[in-house]
Amino acid sequence: MEFTDSAEQADLRSAVRAFARRHATPELVRSAMTAPAGYDHKTWERLTTELGLTALAVPDGLGGVGAGPGEVAVAVQEFGRVLLPSPYLSSATAALVLARARAECPDAAERYLPGLADGSVTGALALDADVLADGDTINGIARNVVDGAAAGLLLVRAGDDLVAVAATDAAVEPLETLDQTRRQAAIRFDRAPAVRAGSAAPAVALHRVLLAAECAAAAEHCLDVTVDYLKMRHQFGRPIGSFQALRHRAADLAVAVSSATATARAAVWTAAMSTGADDAAAIDTGELAMLAPLAALHCSRTFLQMAGEMIQLHGGIGFTWEHEAHLYFKRAKSTQLLLGPVSGLRAEIGGAAGLLPA
Amino acid sequence: MPVPDSGAFRAEVRGWLAANLAGEFAPLTGSGGPGREHEFVQERMAWERRLGADGWIGLGWPESDGGRGLPWRHQVIFHEEYARAGAPARVGHIGEQLLGPTLLMFGTAEQRSRFLPGILAGTQLWCQGYSEPGAGSDLAAVSTRARLDGDQWHLDGQKVWTSLAQFADWCFVLARTDPVAERHHGLSYLLVPMRQPGIEIRPIVQLTGTSEFNEVFFDDARAAAGDIVGAPGDGWRVAMGTLAVERGVSTFGQQLGFQREFEAVLATARANGAIDDPDLSARIVEAWAGLQVMRYTAMATLGRPAAEVPGTEANINKLLWAPWHQRLGELAVDVAGAAATIARPGYELDHAQRLFLYTRADTIYGGSNEIQRNIIAERGLGLPREPR
Repeated sequence: MEFTDSAEQADLRSAVRAFARRHATPELVRSAMTAPAGYDHKTWERLTTELGLTALAVPDGLGGVGAGPGEVAVAVQEFGRVLLPSPYLSSATAALVLARARAECPDAAERYLPGLADGSVTGALALDADVLADGDTINGIARNVVDGAAAGLLLVRAGDDLVAVAATDAAVEPLETLDQTRRQAAIRFDRAPAVRAGSAAPAVALHRVLLAAECAAAAEHCLDVTVDYLKMRHQFGRPIGSFQALRHRAADLAVAVSSATATARAAVWTAAMSTGADDAAAIDTGELAMLAPLAALHCSRTFLQMAGEMIQLHGGIGFTWEHEAHLYFKRAKSTQLLLGPVSGLRAEIGGAAGLLPA
Repeated sequence: MPVPDSGAFRAEVRGWLAANLAGEFAPLTGSGGPGREHEFVQERMAWERRLGADGWIGLGWPESDGGRGLPWRHQVIFHEEYARAGAPARVGHIGEQLLGPTLLMFGTAEQRSRFLPGILAGTQLWCQGYSEPGAGSDLAAVSTRARLDGDQWHLDGQKVWTSLAQFADWCFVLARTDPVAERHHGLSYLLVPMRQPGIEIRPIVQLTGTSEFNEVFFDDARAAAGDIVGAPGDGWRVAMGTLAVERGVSTFGQQLGFQREFEAVLATARANGAIDDPDLSARIVEAWAGLQVMRYTAMATLGRPAAEVPGTEANINKLLWAPWHQRLGELAVDVAGAAATIARPGYELDHAQRLFLYTRADTIYGGSNEIQRNIIAERGLGLPREPR
């Protein structure tokens, strides 16, 4: 396993970070999250054209550059650090899923990947769905479709399968969200034309891995900000970071965050190996079946712990709307809730690792 | 010598262990270690010599000092295979992992050529004389005194929690050589022979009923004037310097040991039906997940270039594994249920009971969890020191 960025990934990371410093300042994040679409179109255009980030997940011949989960995770992490409102994670995951299923489902891949590559279309994953296929159409509903309102492409779970549906063929209801930096929609399908886009399991796994990576990076940001505050804030005539009660909590958080970072790295690496173009390097997908829920469980839990402690360690200012802590707290809890009950993740881990009866 | 390919090296280690952990050494499989250091001590000392004779001690030491100069990846492989084979807990690890690296960093050429060969051969065992009744977490408060008189140091005082003292040939002692200087000033790092009239060793009976640790009393004990590492008064820097370079190569072997302990708990849970209990099965999965997380965290540490390691990785690893191990001990007896309340005659404890009791020490020894947090806060996060 590799736990450090490759040279290309390191370059990409610093480019995305520089971009985020300019285009995802706290003020811009605030204004984007209250924009009608839930994100800023100009920033999205820059991100697709100047940085070409939407092309990362798309194969060469279809308008992309043929990178993989490792590179997408870099961008996801840097946007997660600053909570840039954008459909990037959803859309890039959709692209990775279609690229992976290309041989099996060329129709869906060739129809949607070029648009996903240049950013003119965004994708969303409707994995919590009660949907029945009826020939080449589907009927049913999908709940909590993150970035669903802005999406042109919906990848919908239909039993063990995944199908691609054009958003124009579905009834999309935008929803206001607890985490305002990430919008959702409720979607109804009424004989909506659908093409097969592979099976659902790899989409679920990839989505969890990228969410885990995002959680770990966002938690790192919260830790940095909190530690800075502990050094700067004075009470009783000295920095509050010199009080052992707070130093020990900060140390425990540092331990938790570094374990989340490492676990996310392991998950991203495993996903990259099991979805890469190079089949010789492909590893046992059983490893990903265990590691994706494990990383999602551990990283979302750590992020929530970190964000909650961020509020507490900032004291009163941490409870204000003005401070950024609540945005991270809401993102952390929303991510955890969208991953489903902890008992479900545990059962998957236990099953995949052979601990519990399947 | 060129560095062998890691696959070939793994095969070499595995082959050697299979061939040697046999015959007279076969009964040693799985022996020793925390809570069981009293087992097969003489046999494990012979095993140490076997390891040394075939060049398995000091894998990472420079070849010029008698080591094999192997990179950390190879050392990890050795620790992994060693644990996988169930080879006995080492009795020479204090010499190999603490004194040896200290001499490599701070020792004179004469000291290295005098002491390293015995460690490498597995013929000379060491113990560590740091903690004292009045200097536990506050190590700089050591009060054992050493006075130079002619060609000898004279030591008076008491050390405590000294593992394997009754079997050790030598002890490295942190002693106060300047009675006027305070705290970490005026301490020296002395090398003291254990078999002499001025030293008395008394075992400490722990809450497990067994004795891993000892008290060591110095009553005009002697050390040669030249057997000091670093200059007089420089002992604190020498003692801390070794800790700073520890990157946790042995962590991986330790984690394979944890894996085996976990599997024993799992086997019990399957056999007695505890696995069907929702609370216990959730804890079993969490324990397993925690073990994976620790593995990834340790791998991430070792995978980074040395220059990027801020020096708190060992502390982070300890704060992960020690509480995890304690939870596993609690899980072990919860899985066993009321059966775990019965001891065998002579207060002989089973695996679950021993794990439950012994792991209370994990969060104390080698720097308590509270001390680990202080170090991470200060060195890792750069938080201001507490006023003292």
